[in-house]
Amino acid sequence: MIPLLGRGLILLALLVATVGTVVGFATGGRPSAEGSAWTRRLAFTFAGLMAAANAVMLYALLAHDFSVSYVAQVGSRSVPTWVSLVSLWSSLEGSILFWGLVLGAYIAAATWANRNSHPEYMPYATAVWLACASFFSFLLAGPAQPFNTVFPVPLDGPGPNPLLQNHVLMAIHPPFLYSGYVGMTIPFGLACAALFTGRLGHGFIRPLRTWLLVPWVFLTCAIVLGGWWAYEVLGWGGYWAWDPVENASLLPWLTATAAVHSAVLMERKGILKGWTVTLVAASFLLTILGTFMTRSGVFNSVHSFTQSAIGPTILGFLAAALIFSVALLATRVDTLAPEGRLEGATSRDGMFLLNNLLFVLLTFTVLVGTVFPLVVEAVRGVRMSVGRPYFDAMAVPIGAALLFLMGVGPALPWGRATPEQTRRVLLPPLGGAALAAAVGLLAGARSPWTVMTLAFGGYTAWVTLSEIALPLRQRMRAHNEGPLAAFVEANLRRGRRRFGAYVVHSGATLVIVAIAVSSTMGISKEFTLRTGESAGIGAYTLTFLRTEARDEPHRQSLVALVAVRRGGKDIGTMAPRMNQYERQREPVGTPDVRTFPLEDLYLSILNLDADGGTLSLHALVNPMVGWIWGATALMAFGGIVALIPRREGSVALAGAAATVVVGAAAPR
Amino acid sequence: MNRTVLGAGLALALPLLVVLFANLGRDPHAVESPLIGHAAPAFSLSPVDGGPAVSLASLRGRPVVLNFWATWCIPCIEEHAALASAAGRAGNDAQFLGIVYEDEAAQVQRFLQERGKAYPSLLDGDGKTAISYGVYGVPESYFIDAEGTIVAKFVGPLDPSTLEAHLALARGQKP
Amino acid sequence: MTRLIAALLLAVATTTSARAAETTEGVRAVVGAPRGAPITGPDLDARAKEAAALLRCPVCQGLSVADSPATMAVKMKAEVREMVAAGYDQDQVLAYFERSYGEFVRLKPPLRGVNWLVWLAPLMGLLIGGAFVAWTLRGAKAATPPAMTQVPVGVDALPEDTALVPYVLKVRELAYGWPGGVRPKVERT
Repeated sequence: MIPLLGRGLILLALLVATVGTVVGFATGGRPSAEGSAWTRRLAFTFAGLMAAANAVMLYALLAHDFSVSYVAQVGSRSVPTWVSLVSLWSSLEGSILFWGLVLGAYIAAATWANRNSHPEYMPYATAVWLACASFFSFLLAGPAQPFNTVFPVPLDGPGPNPLLQNHVLMAIHPPFLYSGYVGMTIPFGLACAALFTGRLGHGFIRPLRTWLLVPWVFLTCAIVLGGWWAYEVLGWGGYWAWDPVENASLLPWLTATAAVHSAVLMERKGILKGWTVTLVAASFLLTILGTFMTRSGVFNSVHSFTQSAIGPTILGFLAAALIFSVALLATRVDTLAPEGRLEGATSRDGMFLLNNLLFVLLTFTVLVGTVFPLVVEAVRGVRMSVGRPYFDAMAVPIGAALLFLMGVGPALPWGRATPEQTRRVLLPPLGGAALAAAVGLLAGARSPWTVMTLAFGGYTAWVTLSEIALPLRQRMRAHNEGPLAAFVEANLRRGRRRFGAYVVHSGATLVIVAIAVSSTMGISKEFTLRTGESAGIGAYTLTFLRTEARDEPHRQSLVALVAVRRGGKDIGTMAPRMNQYERQREPVGTPDVRTFPLEDLYLSILNLDADGGTLSLHALVNPMVGWIWGATALMAFGGIVALIPRREGSVALAGAAATVVVGAAAPR
Repeated sequence: MNRTVLGAGLALALPLLVVLFANLGRDPHAVESPLIGHAAPAFSLSPVDGGPAVSLASLRGRPVVLNFWATWCIPCIEEHAALASAAGRAGNDAQFLGIVYEDEAAQVQRFLQERGKAYPSLLDGDGKTAISYGVYGVPESYFIDAEGTIVAKFVGPLDPSTLEAHLALARGQKP
Repeated sequence: MTRLIAALLLAVATTTSARAAETTEGVRAVVGAPRGAPITGPDLDARAKEAAALLRCPVCQGLSVADSPATMAVKMKAEVREMVAAGYDQDQVLAYFERSYGEFVRLKPPLRGVNWLVWLAPLMGLLIGGAFVAWTLRGAKAATPPAMTQVPVGVDALPEDTALVPYVLKVRELAYGWPGGVRPKVERT
């Protein structure tokens, strides 16, 4: 019954999406109120059908209905309920079904938000969205069908991969990732609509920006959550290995960030329209490339789903989408006439352009590095690797340059600036740079890149904090308000976009500095301890107390209890473990991580001999890793603040004008 | 028609698509051995049930079949019978050797007692021999000719016909 | 697993001396004699870690031998350390493992043949992109500001409210292109 119901819902969704695509394009070519209404209805219907299909699958997973092929593949009676729930996205077919759910939700939300506006754009945009929806429905109906009937019905299933049951982040990271990935379809549709109509006016930039920022916030969180998950689960002490699938999630984030910046210039001066739509299209295309990389089995990755027949189909879609995008851009980008002019190299405008360059360069580099082993395979027939040393060598200089640009850019005024003005704004933050570098050197930083990153970070922090304080000071002076009232009025009630942007910059600065510090200033040691023996690492003393055996329904664990002392004081016990799952031959280790304000203590078992009482331990002190997670939350917060809509009309204009005058003319 | 956009777009998109299409269907986890056609790395390992060390050099003059295995490896257990019967058939014409990978002597001895031992199994304690042969996992089998050159490597469990074919290669015959 | 350590120790103990000679001979057969002198202490730790970080763990996915907790990786790390201690330099260590495992095991693509492309592509991207940005910005710099051809009479006057003066000057600077907002002496409009 359930398989039939599920298959039916998917087929209906495919039908609705296909019809909606046709109706949407037809209405775009010949606008009519009726056509727009039908396009919207079909969009909502698609969303509803996908939601229903997902609900049916969730029911099947919770009820352990093993007649459904996907449930037979990943379901199990012996796993906790939350694991049954997250099995929805733990394996290939279910993850595509989940993709459909998120896509439907986004399409419905974007259609609803714009139901009364932009009638000339929306049918085109909806048509593009539903075209993508058709593809994913096709995948579900065909190569990735999760609702096949299994007969005879098995009594139990194997459960999802044990590594995916180890941590609660399994419940959080994939939804965030899909919300980020899938969401890039929405701005893509909007950009295509702009290209089709040949206009990208001021009014349309707002929805484009909003629907770019929403998935951006999710994707930012998702990438870092993925790193955090790897850090907490995999046991090697790091959070990013430049694995092909990790890179796949980073690539669209890079172009989306560039697009968000480009959109600022587009909104202010009506320039860089071509850049912005290209970057938006690139973000979408990179998500399709990313999903191909993850699911095709072509890339050697720890994250890939098992190889399947779905690869060629996705590649076909990628090819079609690529050619469509290039053709659309080549033929229509010139219709997006600029309304202003880029002014000056040493102005904020020029810095935006430089920003675009650096982000695109980094995207290109990571893409080349990830795809290169395939190139060599095709040309020389030899398997080779492009690993961390390569990516670090490329990403570190570009990242450092971006960090510096994040400081220089906002410091410079809009438009042309005299050398005197330039000097006046660019020199004071050097104080921040010197301070940060000094702190770093005192704390023991010796690598030149780290000290430089700290200096850049200090510079950028100075500029960012000054920019946040600027409207605050102006309000305090002009309206005689106290600091708190001024802050609320200037940054939370009025200039939210500006404030949000600078909060994001603050977060990004902290993240980059934390990455630099944690990569170069950590301590890593390996010990072999007998019961009762101690060893020291950094400021900590570790004592191996004993081994404990723990039995859980789906795994048996051996836990090594290690007492930790710092500065003579007992600060608790840590419990890294080795887990034996039924399905795996090798036990899977789970590290234990204790986070302190400035650093993490990270313990991972290399070997545990319970009978002999010997523990082979890998201990790490990772400075500032906790800051990465916290600063990312700050970035997300900034993005959300920037998203809160402003009241239309005179208030907006006054706000913008006031910022311009205040920024330009403040007597210093 | 914006030529720059068209040119740049196609210059990026087409090579990418070509590379991806060309690699469909390949298994990224299968890596060919660079040792084929080269001299087999030397080793001198003790048999699992004690006795003097067996060195590869001492076996020169006969084809050698080197099988890396372990008792915890299911495919290894499956191919055990095929290897044993092939060793019996070859007799003195070829030397079969097992090299135990990441396992314990006592476990291996018990396994061989239960299932029979047709040829010696050597213990590679520190893994150096496995490393020198470029072993990724088990089972992996190397076929070495009488002069000590590796002529073939087979990854995965061997079945009788594949075994015979590779053995023929090691003997210098056409399979 | 629980008796693995004991068994390994036993195996190592009984075969060490014979093995050491064989292995060194095996290593020498592949990469020749060590190019450097034997080293010990923290220098050894640092160099061994550096070399291990450039080798890919064959049984993991993308992790380096230095980072990986897998048994095979731990053994490879030990062998790397031995080689470095004996005086082999980084190239020799990498070449030894490449001989057994293929180019796959090197995390940093060696500079040979088509591999040059992966190192040059970002550089070329930077140069092309940089040139494009420079060309775009040069076009911008050359453009003169939109100066008003007809400057109204009496516009040089400043407001009585002194608080407004800096703003007016700034507006004039933006509108007419006068540095500091003050009409330049040379201009004749």
